Amino acid sequence: MNAIILLAAILFGLMVWVGGKKGVRSFISLFFNFIVFLIALMFIMAPSVNPIAVTLLACTAISSINLFFINRVNSKTIMAFASTIITICLLLFLIDWIANQSMIQGFGEEEIGEISMFSLHIGIDFVQIAVSMIIISTIGAITDVAIAISSPMRELIIHDPDISREDLFRSGMTIGRDILGSDTNTLFFAFIGGYMALILWFRDLNYSVGQMVNAKVFGGEMLTIFCAGIGIALVIPVSAGINAWYLTRRRERKQTG
Amino acid sequence: MKWLSGTSIRIRRQTLILYGVLILLCAGSMVFVFNNHAFYDTPIAKVIRVEPGKSEEVTDTNGNSDRLFTQRMIAELKNGPYKGEQIHLENTYSLSKAFDQEHRAGDELFVYIAGQAEDSHVLAGDIEDVKRDYYMMGAFWLFLFVLTVVGKKKGLFAVLSLAINMAILVLAVELYVRTGVNLLLIAAGLAVLFTILSLLFLNGFNEKTYAAILSTLLGTAASLSVTLLVIRLTDGNGLHYEELQFLTRPYETVFLAGLFIGSLGAVMDVAITMSASVFELWEKNPRISMDALRTSGMDIGRDIMGTMTSILFFAYISGSIPMLILYFKNASPFGYTLSINLSLELARALSGGIGIVLTIPIGLYISMFFVRKKRAES
Repeated sequence: MNAIILLAAILFGLMVWVGGKKGVRSFISLFFNFIVFLIALMFIMAPSVNPIAVTLLACTAISSINLFFINRVNSKTIMAFASTIITICLLLFLIDWIANQSMIQGFGEEEIGEISMFSLHIGIDFVQIAVSMIIISTIGAITDVAIAISSPMRELIIHDPDISREDLFRSGMTIGRDILGSDTNTLFFAFIGGYMALILWFRDLNYSVGQMVNAKVFGGEMLTIFCAGIGIALVIPVSAGINAWYLTRRRERKQTG
Repeated sequence: MKWLSGTSIRIRRQTLILYGVLILLCAGSMVFVFNNHAFYDTPIAKVIRVEPGKSEEVTDTNGNSDRLFTQRMIAELKNGPYKGEQIHLENTYSLSKAFDQEHRAGDELFVYIAGQAEDSHVLAGDIEDVKRDYYMMGAFWLFLFVLTVVGKKKGLFAVLSLAINMAILVLAVELYVRTGVNLLLIAAGLAVLFTILSLLFLNGFNEKTYAAILSTLLGTAASLSVTLLVIRLTDGNGLHYEELQFLTRPYETVFLAGLFIGSLGAVMDVAITMSASVFELWEKNPRISMDALRTSGMDIGRDIMGTMTSILFFAYISGSIPMLILYFKNASPFGYTLSINLSLELARALSGGIGIVLTIPIGLYISMFFVRKKRAES
């Protein structure tokens, strides 16, 4: 029996047991996410297609699945969706610039053993691949923060219908600050778990601090952590701003109309 | 931005001092990484002029076409006995840049000095690697400032907590290498330490945090036991340890140790969400029945289950994108490529998901236990 399939079956069983119908939806959305990931990969490899454009489309699909399929299409999820996409676009410029400067794309010399049997001249720009990789690593977390800010902000305006736009924005920021720590934590540990082998490797091969800091593999991993953290932080003002703007505008319309 | 203009900007003195210290530290460390050449044993050269050379079209056996470029560079050595002298370097790079890169004037490179060129007194050599330390430092400070500006104290705490956890990890690896204690034991110790430190750091000393710490440890232990059991039952069938990179140690232990720590953040997040909501429900309505508490708690858990699992899922599988593309472009079969490159990432994500889902009831019942105890006391 295949270990992956057994693990997946156990996860499915647990999700149904704990979550009922919502658990089934959560599991199916995980499966859809995987399919979108594979389809995006195929498109990235097609000739004369821009990998970053494909990544943006994939992110749109992934956050649609996570927002509209698990929850429902309503003003909350639509606002969260808009915040996610805007944040991803902002983040894209930043990551593209950093990746181009620091040359962390592709493979490091530590990986040469594994890739030596392959042709490396495959005509795909690995800088863009690196940008796609970093964006996709954070898409789950950014969507999560966006919805975690949108839902309580709507509750706020229901409980306090006269709240000003500034106060609403400020409350959104406070909510965001509370979840910033735990969401960055989630991603950091996910990455750190994978670095254990890398740190052991550096230690066993007696890398000096200088060699480690300048190594491509280490740089790539660190930049992923930093960009992921920046993404989670950026979605907070974006999401608070969009929701404050939308919710007060809707109120004004109701009052005048 | 008109609606922001009414915001009164009141900067407290403490905040001002904090930002001042951070900016000074940032400036100091940036000046250092731009001028630290003397600290490196390897010669470093700064590119001053680049001359583009010839380029040629290449096609590999799988029909992928690429273009190879050659560039000749004159660089100035920044350290070592030849400091200040010029060196001639040659670089070849491809459009795909998978294992090479294009250099521009201003790039700093680690070089190997081969000696003097035949017909001149100028030095010649080879490029070994790129000096990346200032990019890393710059990205780190950008990360710190964005988190601090948005999250204020909480953002800065998140950065600090990451730095502390990384330091602990490095120390633990050192301990493992020196003493040779079982890596899994070290990982378990790390998990306990990380959980206690991170949760106390993020949420302070209170019952909510204690309940979350207990739930995290139990949830992680439960998910790890399930995963271990599955691996034993299936004999590790379908897990391709050969894709584990950077291996100098027994592969299964390294994988399991990584698994231990990887899902910790997500499990902590679920645990603190569960305990915070149960305590809030109880504080709002001290006479709430245990049944009502259980129902509301379960509802909250259901809401976060899907998104938490997908955070882990994407954090794990995204790392294999470059390798997947390399395999596919080299005409590797679809199923083979996926199973070789994704089996461990999928196992990590699924095992993390199991941890997340298990922590929902565990966190709920532990928090309810704490609430019941508190109620009995009052």
